[in-house]
Amino acid sequence: MKALPEILREIRPECDFTASSDFMADGMLDSFDMMTLVATLDKTYGISIQGTDIVPENFRNLETIGALLRQCGVPA
Amino acid sequence: MSPIKEIGQAFEGIQQAKIGAPAFCTNFFPVQTKLQGWIDHGELLAERRAGAVFFLRKDHEFWHLYFCAADVPTLQREMATLSSLSGERVVVDLVGREGALEGMLNAAETSGFRRYRRLLRLIRASEPGRPQLSAASTQVVWADQTDRRAISELLEGSFDRYADQLAMPYEIEGAITARQILVIRCDGVLAALLFFETQGLTSTVRYWVVAERFRSQRFGAALMHHYFALHPAVRRFLLWVTADNEEAVHKYRHYGYLPEGLIDHVLVNPMIHS
Repeated sequence: MKALPEILREIRPECDFTASSDFMADGMLDSFDMMTLVATLDKTYGISIQGTDIVPENFRNLETIGALLRQCGVPA
Repeated sequence: MSPIKEIGQAFEGIQQAKIGAPAFCTNFFPVQTKLQGWIDHGELLAERRAGAVFFLRKDHEFWHLYFCAADVPTLQREMATLSSLSGERVVVDLVGREGALEGMLNAAETSGFRRYRRLLRLIRASEPGRPQLSAASTQVVWADQTDRRAISELLEGSFDRYADQLAMPYEIEGAITARQILVIRCDGVLAALLFFETQGLTSTVRYWVVAERFRSQRFGAALMHHYFALHPAVRRFLLWVTADNEEAVHKYRHYGYLPEGLIDHVLVNPMIHS
Protein backbone atom coordinates (compact mmCIF):
# COMPACT_ATOMS: atom_id res chain seq x y z
CA MET A 1 0.00 0.00 0.00
CA LYS A 2 1.30 3.45 -0.91
CA ALA A 3 2.45 5.72 1.88
CA LEU A 4 1.10 9.24 2.20
CA PRO A 5 4.24 11.07 0.97
CA GLU A 6 4.24 8.88 -2.15
CA ILE A 7 0.57 9.70 -2.84
CA LEU A 8 1.27 13.42 -2.44
CA ARG A 9 4.28 13.22 -4.75
CA GLU A 10 2.12 11.61 -7.45
CA ILE A 11 -0.32 14.53 -7.23
CA ARG A 12 2.31 17.28 -7.16
CA PRO A 13 5.68 15.84 -8.18
CA GLU A 14 7.42 19.23 -8.13
CA CYS A 15 6.77 19.81 -4.42
CA ASP A 16 8.73 18.67 -1.38
CA PHE A 17 5.96 17.93 1.08
CA THR A 18 8.36 17.16 3.91
CA ALA A 19 9.57 20.77 3.83
CA SER A 20 6.22 22.43 4.53
CA SER A 21 4.01 22.76 7.57
CA ASP A 22 1.12 24.30 5.60
CA PHE A 23 0.57 22.87 2.12
CA MET A 24 -2.25 25.30 1.27
CA ALA A 25 -0.54 28.47 2.46
CA ASP A 26 2.64 27.39 0.70
CA GLY A 27 0.75 26.85 -2.55
CA MET A 28 1.64 23.14 -2.74
CA LEU A 29 -1.98 21.95 -2.80
CA ASP A 30 -4.92 23.83 -4.25
CA SER A 31 -8.59 23.02 -3.86
CA PHE A 32 -8.59 20.73 -6.89
CA ASP A 33 -5.55 18.87 -5.54
CA MET A 34 -7.31 18.51 -2.20
CA MET A 35 -10.35 16.80 -3.75
CA THR A 36 -8.02 14.63 -5.87
CA LEU A 37 -6.17 13.69 -2.69
CA VAL A 38 -9.42 12.83 -0.88
CA ALA A 39 -10.47 10.53 -3.74
CA THR A 40 -7.03 8.90 -3.80
CA LEU A 41 -6.95 8.39 -0.03
CA ASP A 42 -10.49 6.93 -0.09
CA LYS A 43 -9.48 4.47 -2.79
CA THR A 44 -6.03 3.60 -1.46
CA TYR A 45 -7.09 2.97 2.13
CA GLY A 46 -10.67 1.81 1.52
CA ILE A 47 -12.13 4.63 3.62
CA SER A 48 -14.63 7.42 3.10
CA ILE A 49 -13.41 10.79 4.36
CA GLN A 50 -16.48 12.70 5.48
CA GLY A 51 -17.56 15.87 3.70
CA THR A 52 -17.25 17.91 6.87
CA ASP A 53 -13.63 16.77 7.16
CA ILE A 54 -12.73 18.12 3.71
CA VAL A 55 -11.47 21.39 5.12
CA PRO A 56 -8.02 22.95 4.71
CA GLU A 57 -7.19 22.42 8.40
CA ASN A 58 -7.14 18.65 7.87
CA PHE A 59 -4.86 18.89 4.84
CA ARG A 60 -2.38 21.37 6.23
CA ASN A 61 0.60 19.00 6.49
CA LEU A 62 1.66 15.36 6.80
CA GLU A 63 0.75 15.28 10.50
CA THR A 64 -2.80 16.60 10.09
CA ILE A 65 -3.51 14.31 7.13
CA GLY A 66 -2.06 11.41 9.13
CA ALA A 67 -4.36 12.30 12.03
CA LEU A 68 -7.36 12.40 9.67
CA LEU A 69 -6.43 8.96 8.29
CA ARG A 70 -6.18 7.53 11.81
CA GLN A 71 -9.56 9.04 12.62
CA CYS A 72 -10.91 7.16 9.58
CA GLY A 73 -9.46 3.92 10.91
CA VAL A 74 -6.22 3.72 8.97
CA PRO A 75 -3.52 2.29 11.23
CA ALA A 76 -0.51 4.54 11.90
CA MET B 1 -32.68 26.17 -4.14
CA SER B 2 -32.07 27.85 -0.78
CA PRO B 3 -29.41 30.43 0.09
CA ILE B 4 -26.32 29.17 1.90
CA LYS B 5 -25.84 31.32 4.98
CA GLU B 6 -22.67 29.80 6.41
CA ILE B 7 -19.78 27.74 5.18
CA GLY B 8 -20.68 24.72 7.33
CA GLN B 9 -23.90 24.23 5.37
CA ALA B 10 -21.89 23.69 2.20
CA PHE B 11 -19.67 21.07 3.82
CA GLU B 12 -22.67 19.33 5.40
CA GLY B 13 -24.17 19.07 1.92
CA ILE B 14 -20.98 17.51 0.60
CA GLN B 15 -20.96 15.08 3.51
CA GLN B 16 -24.52 14.00 2.84
CA ALA B 17 -23.64 13.18 -0.76
CA LYS B 18 -20.45 11.43 0.24
CA ILE B 19 -21.80 9.06 2.91
CA GLY B 20 -21.52 5.55 1.50
CA ALA B 21 -20.86 6.95 -1.96
CA PRO B 22 -19.69 4.14 -4.25
CA ALA B 23 -18.02 6.49 -6.75
CA PHE B 24 -18.24 10.06 -5.46
CA CYS B 25 -18.15 12.61 -8.26
CA THR B 26 -17.98 16.38 -8.07
CA ASN B 27 -17.09 19.58 -9.86
CA PHE B 28 -17.07 21.54 -6.59
CA PHE B 29 -13.55 22.44 -5.47
CA PRO B 30 -14.20 25.35 -3.16
CA VAL B 31 -11.39 27.60 -2.02
CA GLN B 32 -12.51 28.57 1.46
CA THR B 33 -11.90 32.31 1.04
CA LYS B 34 -13.83 32.39 -2.25
CA LEU B 35 -16.62 30.30 -0.80
CA GLN B 36 -16.91 32.75 2.08
CA GLY B 37 -16.99 35.64 -0.39
CA TRP B 38 -19.86 34.05 -2.35
CA ILE B 39 -21.79 33.47 0.88
CA ASP B 40 -21.14 37.01 2.13
CA HIS B 41 -22.48 38.40 -1.15
CA GLY B 42 -25.54 36.13 -1.16
CA GLU B 43 -24.37 34.44 -4.36
CA LEU B 44 -24.57 30.78 -3.30
CA LEU B 45 -27.70 28.60 -3.28
CA ALA B 46 -28.02 24.89 -2.55
CA GLU B 47 -30.43 22.05 -3.03
CA ARG B 48 -30.06 18.65 -1.42
CA ARG B 49 -31.30 15.53 -3.14
CA ALA B 50 -31.04 11.83 -2.37
CA GLY B 51 -27.33 11.05 -2.76
CA ALA B 52 -26.48 14.45 -4.21
CA VAL B 53 -26.21 18.13 -3.44
CA PHE B 54 -26.30 20.94 -6.00
CA PHE B 55 -25.00 24.47 -5.64
CA LEU B 56 -25.81 27.44 -7.84
CA ARG B 57 -23.46 30.45 -7.78
CA LYS B 58 -24.51 33.78 -9.21
CA ASP B 59 -22.07 35.23 -11.74
CA HIS B 60 -23.23 38.51 -13.32
CA GLU B 61 -26.55 37.58 -14.98
CA PHE B 62 -26.16 33.79 -15.04
CA TRP B 63 -25.37 30.89 -12.70
CA HIS B 64 -22.62 28.31 -12.27
CA LEU B 65 -23.84 24.85 -11.30
CA TYR B 66 -21.76 22.71 -8.95
CA PHE B 67 -22.60 19.24 -7.73
CA CYS B 68 -21.47 16.50 -5.38
CA ALA B 69 -23.02 13.10 -6.02
CA ALA B 70 -22.65 9.56 -4.78
CA ASP B 71 -21.97 8.36 -8.31
CA VAL B 72 -22.63 9.27 -11.93
CA PRO B 73 -26.04 7.52 -12.21
CA THR B 74 -27.23 9.46 -9.13
CA LEU B 75 -25.91 12.67 -10.63
CA GLN B 76 -27.66 11.97 -13.93
CA ARG B 77 -30.96 11.09 -12.24
CA GLU B 78 -31.02 14.13 -9.95
CA MET B 79 -29.60 16.69 -12.38
CA ALA B 80 -32.25 15.83 -14.95
CA THR B 81 -35.00 16.85 -12.53
CA LEU B 82 -33.53 20.13 -11.23
CA SER B 83 -36.35 22.52 -12.02
CA SER B 84 -34.21 25.56 -11.16
CA LEU B 85 -32.17 24.94 -14.31
CA SER B 86 -35.03 25.37 -16.74
CA GLY B 87 -35.64 29.13 -16.62
CA GLU B 88 -32.14 30.39 -15.90
CA ARG B 89 -28.89 30.70 -17.82
CA VAL B 90 -26.62 28.07 -16.31
CA VAL B 91 -23.01 27.05 -16.91
CA VAL B 92 -21.38 23.88 -15.59
CA ASP B 93 -17.62 23.34 -15.52
CA LEU B 94 -16.36 19.75 -15.47
CA VAL B 95 -12.76 19.68 -14.37
CA GLY B 96 -10.42 16.70 -14.40
CA ARG B 97 -8.14 14.57 -16.50
CA GLU B 98 -9.29 13.86 -20.03
CA GLY B 99 -10.96 10.46 -20.10
CA ALA B 100 -12.06 10.68 -16.48
CA LEU B 101 -14.87 13.09 -17.29
CA GLU B 102 -16.93 11.05 -19.73
CA GLY B 103 -19.54 9.94 -17.18
CA MET B 104 -20.12 13.48 -15.89
CA LEU B 105 -20.16 14.89 -19.43
CA ASN B 106 -22.81 12.35 -20.38
CA ALA B 107 -24.89 13.21 -17.28
CA ALA B 108 -24.75 16.93 -18.07
CA GLU B 109 -25.55 16.45 -21.75
CA THR B 110 -28.47 14.18 -20.89
CA SER B 111 -29.77 17.02 -18.71
CA GLY B 112 -29.75 19.42 -21.65
CA PHE B 113 -26.32 21.03 -21.35
CA ARG B 114 -24.20 21.33 -24.47
CA ARG B 115 -20.44 21.62 -24.85
CA TYR B 116 -19.41 25.25 -25.16
CA ARG B 117 -15.67 25.59 -24.57
CA ARG B 118 -12.79 23.37 -23.57
CA LEU B 119 -10.05 24.90 -21.44
CA LEU B 120 -6.57 23.57 -20.72
CA ARG B 121 -4.60 24.23 -17.60
CA LEU B 122 -1.03 25.19 -18.44
CA ILE B 123 1.87 25.04 -16.03
CA ARG B 124 5.25 26.72 -16.03
CA ALA B 125 7.44 24.91 -13.54
CA SER B 126 10.29 26.90 -12.06
CA GLU B 127 13.20 25.04 -10.57
CA PRO B 128 14.86 26.15 -7.33
CA GLY B 129 18.01 28.12 -8.04
CA ARG B 130 17.15 28.71 -11.70
CA PRO B 131 18.23 32.24 -12.60
CA GLN B 132 15.37 34.67 -13.09
CA LEU B 133 15.46 35.76 -16.73
CA SER B 134 12.68 38.33 -16.52
CA ALA B 135 13.18 41.93 -15.55
CA ALA B 136 10.79 44.44 -14.07
CA SER B 137 9.53 47.14 -16.43
CA THR B 138 9.15 50.81 -15.62
CA GLN B 139 6.02 50.90 -17.82
CA VAL B 140 4.23 48.51 -15.49
CA VAL B 141 2.50 49.79 -12.35
CA TRP B 142 -0.02 48.47 -9.85
CA ALA B 143 -3.65 49.16 -10.64
CA ASP B 144 -5.38 51.57 -8.30
CA GLN B 145 -9.04 51.96 -7.39
CA THR B 146 -9.57 54.57 -10.13
CA ASP B 147 -8.88 51.77 -12.67
CA ARG B 148 -11.80 49.61 -11.52
CA ARG B 149 -14.24 50.56 -14.23
CA ALA B 150 -11.66 50.42 -17.02
CA ILE B 151 -10.47 47.01 -15.80
CA SER B 152 -14.01 45.70 -15.74
CA GLU B 153 -14.70 47.03 -19.25
CA LEU B 154 -11.47 45.61 -20.65
CA LEU B 155 -12.21 42.17 -19.16
CA GLU B 156 -15.79 42.17 -20.40
CA GLY B 157 -14.72 43.24 -23.88
CA SER B 158 -11.91 40.72 -24.14
CA PHE B 159 -13.08 37.53 -22.46
CA ASP B 160 -15.99 35.13 -22.65
CA ARG B 161 -18.21 35.64 -19.63
CA TYR B 162 -19.46 32.05 -19.63
CA ALA B 163 -16.09 30.35 -19.99
CA ASP B 164 -13.63 32.73 -18.37
CA GLN B 165 -15.29 33.46 -15.00
CA LEU B 166 -14.99 37.25 -15.19
CA ALA B 167 -14.12 38.90 -11.92
CA MET B 168 -17.02 40.48 -10.04
CA PRO B 169 -16.66 44.19 -9.14
CA TYR B 170 -15.88 43.33 -5.51
CA GLU B 171 -13.18 40.88 -6.67
CA ILE B 172 -11.55 43.59 -8.79
CA GLU B 173 -11.65 45.98 -5.85
CA GLY B 174 -10.11 43.36 -3.55
CA ALA B 175 -7.46 42.39 -6.10
CA ILE B 176 -6.39 46.02 -6.52
CA THR B 177 -6.06 46.37 -2.75
CA ALA B 178 -4.11 43.09 -2.57
CA ARG B 179 -1.79 44.19 -5.42
CA GLN B 180 -2.84 41.44 -7.80
CA ILE B 181 -3.39 43.57 -10.90
CA LEU B 182 -0.52 45.00 -12.93
CA VAL B 183 -1.36 47.60 -15.58
CA ILE B 184 0.17 49.72 -18.30
CA ARG B 185 -1.43 53.08 -18.96
CA CYS B 186 -0.97 55.19 -22.09
CA ASP B 187 -1.94 58.84 -21.87
CA GLY B 188 -4.09 58.04 -18.87
CA VAL B 189 -5.91 55.20 -20.64
CA LEU B 190 -5.72 51.59 -19.46
CA ALA B 191 -3.78 49.85 -22.24
CA ALA B 192 -3.06 46.42 -20.76
CA LEU B 193 -3.36 44.39 -17.60
CA LEU B 194 -2.22 41.19 -15.95
CA PHE B 195 -4.45 39.94 -13.11
CA PHE B 196 -2.98 37.19 -10.97
CA GLU B 197 -3.39 35.33 -7.70
CA THR B 198 -0.42 34.04 -5.74
CA GLN B 199 -0.54 31.54 -2.92
CA GLY B 200 2.85 30.53 -1.58
CA LEU B 201 4.77 28.63 -4.23
CA THR B 202 1.93 28.79 -6.77
CA SER B 203 0.83 31.76 -8.84
CA THR B 204 -2.08 31.77 -11.29
CA VAL B 205 -2.66 34.27 -14.09
CA ARG B 206 -6.39 34.95 -14.25
CA TYR B 207 -6.33 37.44 -17.13
CA TRP B 208 -3.63 38.83 -19.36
CA VAL B 209 -4.84 41.23 -22.01
CA VAL B 210 -3.78 44.19 -24.12
CA ALA B 211 -6.56 46.49 -25.40
CA GLU B 212 -6.90 46.16 -29.16
CA ARG B 213 -5.73 49.66 -30.05
CA PHE B 214 -2.54 49.22 -28.01
CA ARG B 215 -1.40 45.90 -29.46
CA SER B 216 1.98 45.32 -31.16
CA GLN B 217 3.76 47.60 -28.67
CA ARG B 218 5.12 44.73 -26.53
CA PHE B 219 2.94 45.72 -23.58
CA GLY B 220 1.94 42.09 -23.07
CA ALA B 221 5.56 41.02 -22.93
CA ALA B 222 6.41 43.82 -20.49
CA LEU B 223 3.60 42.71 -18.18
CA MET B 224 4.55 39.04 -18.30
CA HIS B 225 8.25 39.70 -17.65
CA HIS B 226 7.37 42.06 -14.81
CA TYR B 227 5.04 39.41 -13.33
CA PHE B 228 7.75 36.73 -13.41
CA ALA B 229 10.28 39.15 -11.93
CA LEU B 230 7.92 39.80 -9.01
CA HIS B 231 7.76 36.08 -8.19
CA PRO B 232 11.29 34.70 -7.87
CA ALA B 233 10.19 32.18 -5.21
CA VAL B 234 7.23 30.75 -7.08
CA ARG B 235 7.71 27.14 -8.24
CA ARG B 236 4.47 26.67 -10.16
CA PHE B 237 2.90 29.22 -12.51
CA LEU B 238 -0.58 28.23 -13.68
CA LEU B 239 -3.29 29.52 -15.99
CA TRP B 240 -6.31 28.32 -17.95
CA VAL B 241 -6.58 28.91 -21.68
CA THR B 242 -9.22 28.07 -24.27
CA ALA B 243 -7.92 24.95 -26.01
CA ASP B 244 -8.68 26.09 -29.55
CA ASN B 245 -7.24 29.59 -29.06
CA GLU B 246 -4.03 28.63 -30.80
CA GLU B 247 -2.62 32.15 -30.74
CA ALA B 248 -2.94 32.38 -26.95
CA VAL B 249 -1.59 28.87 -26.42
CA HIS B 250 1.39 29.74 -28.64
CA LYS B 251 2.07 32.91 -26.66
CA TYR B 252 1.98 31.06 -23.37
CA ARG B 253 4.26 28.34 -24.73
CA HIS B 254 6.71 31.12 -25.60
CA TYR B 255 6.86 31.96 -21.89
CA GLY B 256 7.39 28.34 -20.89
CA TYR B 257 3.83 27.27 -20.10
CA LEU B 258 2.88 23.72 -21.10
CA PRO B 259 -0.33 21.68 -20.79
CA GLU B 260 -0.35 19.62 -17.59
CA GLY B 261 -3.30 17.39 -18.47
CA LEU B 262 -6.09 19.09 -16.55
CA ILE B 263 -9.15 19.94 -18.65
CA ASP B 264 -12.16 22.14 -17.97
CA HIS B 265 -15.14 21.26 -20.14
CA VAL B 266 -17.50 24.25 -20.01
CA LEU B 267 -21.10 23.35 -20.81
CA VAL B 268 -24.10 25.67 -21.06
CA ASN B 269 -27.83 25.05 -20.88
CA PRO B 270 -30.33 25.92 -23.65
CA MET B 271 -31.03 29.37 -22.11
CA ILE B 272 -27.58 30.43 -23.30
CA HIS B 273 -27.43 30.97 -27.02
CA SER B 274 -24.10 30.97 -28.85
